[in-house]
Amino acid sequence: MKMSPMDQFAVKSIGPEWHLSHRYFTLAFTNQALWMALVVGVASIFMLAAASNPKLVPGRLQSMAELSYEFVTNMIRQAAGDDGLIFFPFVFTIFVFVLFSNFFGLLPGAFTVTSQIAVTFALACLVFVVVIVTGFAKHGLGFLKLFVPHVPWYIIWLLVPIEVLSFFIRPLTLSVRLFANMLAGHTMLKVFAGFVIMLGGAGGALAVLSLAPMFMIVAVSALEMLVAFLQAYVFAILTCIYLNEALHLHEQH
Amino acid sequence: MPDPDDLRALGKRLDEVRRQKEPRRQQAPPTLLGIASRFATELGVAVAVGGGLGWLLDKWLGTRPIFLLVMFVLGAAAGILNLMRAAAEINARSADGGSTISDEDEEN
Repeated sequence: MKMSPMDQFAVKSIGPEWHLSHRYFTLAFTNQALWMALVVGVASIFMLAAASNPKLVPGRLQSMAELSYEFVTNMIRQAAGDDGLIFFPFVFTIFVFVLFSNFFGLLPGAFTVTSQIAVTFALACLVFVVVIVTGFAKHGLGFLKLFVPHVPWYIIWLLVPIEVLSFFIRPLTLSVRLFANMLAGHTMLKVFAGFVIMLGGAGGALAVLSLAPMFMIVAVSALEMLVAFLQAYVFAILTCIYLNEALHLHEQH
Repeated sequence: MPDPDDLRALGKRLDEVRRQKEPRRQQAPPTLLGIASRFATELGVAVAVGGGLGWLLDKWLGTRPIFLLVMFVLGAAAGILNLMRAAAEINARSADGGSTISDEDEEN
């Protein structure tokens, strides 16, 4: 059997399919949809269980939920100021979804939802729709001043396109960063696992050598846990930073 | 004329409330790695998007290679701009929050 380290990212239909009009329009329940539903379901159950029956002295579950609540609150406060806190539900949802997706992906045999650029790009686009709507709602057309830096007139015609481009590139950098990190890490794990099997199959002294990539898998798994948290954090904090710009334009707060 | 002792006590209580409202310093996540991954994508994606947009415009308008060249440079400039903004954010954060890594990283 030939195995490719990229097989784990294949999106397959695992349930009912509806073919709409022509072959490019197929509605299907895929492994991706299944894992997304799992992520959302488990995260919701976790939060609901933690919030039901709250105690003054919190138990384990309640402490975890309270810690994540405080963590995100502080993150928003520092990056977007106190008036950014109205976006708490939004940022918290994104953070928890990405965090749970990343950690679910680390389970053996699991499908990593955030290793699909379709998912991360959709999330990033959602963030940008919220940023743009907030900006126009708060500042009206003044939001467009975001694209006009304070520079002399003879250079402004050059800088406005650069500013516009740099703004619209952000959903891409935001999504590519998360997607590339998850893709690279999980591919690396599978490649090392492939080495173990190949060396083990070779027999003799080479079979002993297969312990080396095995050790690497353990090390990379640990690194991946760190990356899973870190990338969820980076995604959430950048959401806050972009919301801050929409709320306060370029002024310092 | 209010009693100065009362005022002092009130001031102390106000300070306390203010301190409670301030975000608590927390265990900073491993941020140098975060900064590195942020900077790398910031520049790479900008150049790729600039070039890609230029290529599409050329294909659409049949003006190869004018837009490809112009947009490539614009993309690189936009990438550098985003990079400088990100760096400025980190600098600002570390300037007002002390100079240790754990402080500058709350931002990134």
